[in-house]
Amino acid sequence: MFSESAQFSEVTSVRRHRPDYLIVLYMGLLMLLGLVIMYAIGPQRANVLNNAYGSNYGDTYFFGKQVVSLLFSLAAFAAIASIPYNLVTKNAGKILLFALGACALLAIAGWAHLGIAQQSLGATRWFNLGPLGSLQPAELLKFAILVFVAGFLGVKVKQGKLNDVNETLIPLAVLTAISMLFIVVIQKDLGTGVSLMTIIMTMLIVGGINKRIGGIILMTIIAVGTVMIISAPHRLDRIVTFFKGDDTSSSDAGSYHIEQAKVAIGTGGLFGVGVGNSIQSTGYLPEATNDSVFAIMGETFGFVGLVTILILFGALLMRLLKIMDHLIDVRLKLIVAGVFGWLGSHVILNVASMIGIFPLTGITLPLLSFGGTSMLFITAALGLVFQLSHYTVNSLNLKEAQHENFSGRRGLGRSRHASRGSFTRG
Amino acid sequence: MNLELQKGSRSKTLAAILFITMAVFVGRLFYLQIIQHDYYVGVANQEQIKRLAIPAKRGLIYALDGQTPVPLVMNQTVYTVFADPKTTTDDTKIIDTIRKIAGGNACPDLQALLNKKDSRYQVLATRITRSQADKIKQENLNGVGFQEESQRVYPEGSLAAQTLGFVDFSGVGRYGVEDKLNDELTGTDGLLQSVTDVRDVPLTIGNNNINRPAVNGKNVVLSIDRNVQSHVEQALSDGLKRTGATRGSAIVMDPQTGQIMAMANLPTYDPAKFNLVSDVAAFNNAVVSAPYEPGSDVKTLTMATGIDKGVVTPDATYNNTDYIKVDDRTITNATLGQTGEITFQHALNWSLNTGFVTVAERLGDGKSITRGARDTMYDYFYNRFHLGQLTGVEVAGETAGTVVSPTTSEGNAVRYSNMAFGQGLDATMVQVASAFGSIVNGGKYYKPTVIAGVVDASGKYIANKITQPSMQIAKSTADQVRSMTHVARDTFFASLDRPGYYIGGKTGTSQVIKNGVYSSDETVGTYLGYGGSEDLSRYVIMIQVSGDNKLLQGARDALPIFTDISNWMLNYLEIQPKG
Repeated sequence: MFSESAQFSEVTSVRRHRPDYLIVLYMGLLMLLGLVIMYAIGPQRANVLNNAYGSNYGDTYFFGKQVVSLLFSLAAFAAIASIPYNLVTKNAGKILLFALGACALLAIAGWAHLGIAQQSLGATRWFNLGPLGSLQPAELLKFAILVFVAGFLGVKVKQGKLNDVNETLIPLAVLTAISMLFIVVIQKDLGTGVSLMTIIMTMLIVGGINKRIGGIILMTIIAVGTVMIISAPHRLDRIVTFFKGDDTSSSDAGSYHIEQAKVAIGTGGLFGVGVGNSIQSTGYLPEATNDSVFAIMGETFGFVGLVTILILFGALLMRLLKIMDHLIDVRLKLIVAGVFGWLGSHVILNVASMIGIFPLTGITLPLLSFGGTSMLFITAALGLVFQLSHYTVNSLNLKEAQHENFSGRRGLGRSRHASRGSFTRG
Repeated sequence: MNLELQKGSRSKTLAAILFITMAVFVGRLFYLQIIQHDYYVGVANQEQIKRLAIPAKRGLIYALDGQTPVPLVMNQTVYTVFADPKTTTDDTKIIDTIRKIAGGNACPDLQALLNKKDSRYQVLATRITRSQADKIKQENLNGVGFQEESQRVYPEGSLAAQTLGFVDFSGVGRYGVEDKLNDELTGTDGLLQSVTDVRDVPLTIGNNNINRPAVNGKNVVLSIDRNVQSHVEQALSDGLKRTGATRGSAIVMDPQTGQIMAMANLPTYDPAKFNLVSDVAAFNNAVVSAPYEPGSDVKTLTMATGIDKGVVTPDATYNNTDYIKVDDRTITNATLGQTGEITFQHALNWSLNTGFVTVAERLGDGKSITRGARDTMYDYFYNRFHLGQLTGVEVAGETAGTVVSPTTSEGNAVRYSNMAFGQGLDATMVQVASAFGSIVNGGKYYKPTVIAGVVDASGKYIANKITQPSMQIAKSTADQVRSMTHVARDTFFASLDRPGYYIGGKTGTSQVIKNGVYSSDETVGTYLGYGGSEDLSRYVIMIQVSGDNKLLQGARDALPIFTDISNWMLNYLEIQPKG
């Protein structure tokens, strides 16, 4: 049933034109802000970790490492943006198998307590690659699912079988279940699981799932999610914490984390305390450089800064939707939809938990959080979208192009309708 | 193909979700960062700003050794040894070590304390010295810790204990100078306020950091001379043994400055072991806190009043019949037989009550103690000699006593006839000695004080200026009364004093009021005198001895103590004898 390995062989023949540089602009601005924060609170963070774990990080350790992460990520962006996308899409199945294999290997290594599996916070989520740092296979799996499911669903959409239970939904459910087994059950990473579900759901929505089936799927996800939450004490704690609200007297770790995040954001005020003056990052707020970076930015840059960050994310996401709307090949559309779901789920879940309106999920804020793997794959995904932005069509020509595309007259002069960059400038 | 998709309506759905979410986020951020900003700043300050008090050192208390301050009260750092029974490993070694090194400071039954494994804090030994603590530390006992605290130490033991007072376990001065001057001695704790990281390490972020150094307490120098004090305590103790009295008090003042050179009370206590004292009466400095009927000592003041008002002279006479009627009361002399026309000097020598009731009558119309006479006496006793009012001496617990005003019905002629020879009024020894000082120094009243100055941070002694005295009686009056007391002493006791000096004094034997009536089986013996050269009296000494159900007399019981101290003082002060 996953035999369509050559799903993307029918390349849209829209002539390659100027890509959407705004993606690079927004992404770059966000990365720069993240770098500024790493520079500002890196010394505090190093100090906290040195005192807590006896490590010996220097003042510039986090800044330096973030620079390296950014360089790797930009390289990945450039690579994925330049390698013809059909090379990626053609091999989607292989990438998926590789990602699932990596997850399986991590599970086995973790079970066998091998040094390569890095245990942290009661879960095995990372491969320890020694001096090269660590790698989170779940992020690779997200990327693999993105390209593979986009291809799979794209074909089904073309065949008009998207809502077909046996041919589409059951295979998809099996794949999803396997992925969830690795990520949520074995790696105990609900955040990444939710993100993965969002990627798939976004693709289903954009692919045109009918409302009844969509509703059933959503209900199923909620039901399974509830079971997951109840079965894992640390998740239940977070939910309980969340519903207790602004109960500062509570002293468990989850409510402490959210409370400290709110203190950081609240103290920021309109313009923030300024770079280098963050106090919450000196150990009060857990995960200051990682999942809590939004709160530290709130303290540092204030309301103005956070709204700016939200605007940048919003603009980037809107760019994705626009590119999606102006792609002809539904499989490419679905890739962009998936990236939208990926980026959107991370931003929304992270920010919502930091500002105390959603339970803590433990998910990174893309492009800003410290952390290589997450950044690497989301920039890779954005790189893919950037490449696809070469192939958008003017909205005037969309219908015709769509028509021509489905009429099977592929490869014929459609490019002449694609006025270069006319859309991307808009 | 799905038309919906081509129109992009599903992307509009996604966009709508995005917009709504972002709007909610911005609203929430506005709430947290703008509306709730002050609240969160408050929360943040509460957890991020730490305050640390820098304890101020309590001031030392010095006595004088001649003109040089010597410490009477010092501070010592002592240690409390405690254990966390949950983390101790070798209990036997801990017990052996503490027993061996801390000795008597170890708590009893250490094993039981260490067996309380649920507890995290058990005190094993208290108030051990630094060297003891160092020795215990060297043993590297697991789960044993030390707490530093400051404790008062007394190099001179119980010397001047009631004047000093003590510092209780919460660091507050109790009784004496420690209590009265507690604020000056305590100083002001410094404050170290800093924004800190989560491990309380100070950060240099923000404007909330304060570093206010501690202001140490003042080092006070008492006017108490350690040598005089020491001798007075010895003489008093000897006197009590000799007379069988159980209580004794003494004060030695410099009549030329009002400074108190010694103040002693028996029984006394050891301020280093104040917590072991069972009778808190030992803490009181009776010289300032126990008013009593001073008795015949007051006759000197009555005489001064009469002379100053010009109604009598030492050589004036009156007819002594050994009793005198005032209203419905008859006042009798304690010593009978000196009847006939006698001088007031003679009346003073024999301490005849009738003589001083006569002085009081002469302050009025000559026959009775009129309201005018009473007003005059009140003016002298209360306003000029400061009886019945607080002197302000720097020792806690001072009591005012009572001089009944003639404006009240209590202040009638009978009352004032009694006051003329020292009954019917309450005064403290420090009041009487200060009043007497204003007679022997030529009429100047000095406020009594125990403070001579301070020792500054560099260890330099800075003497206080002598407070300006107030002229209360004419110098000629003062000199005449001074001379009368010299004669009074010389008449009977000249042989006791070293020749070539000018010594004077007045005995007093006061009855004690028990259950509202004068008791016949208990009297208080006092002696009030001065000494020095004829030109200058250098000291006023007042002695009081008493005991439950003991009949103690001024001449027999208190006077020898005065003589002992007086002769010693002449030597100590290196006063040159005349001739």
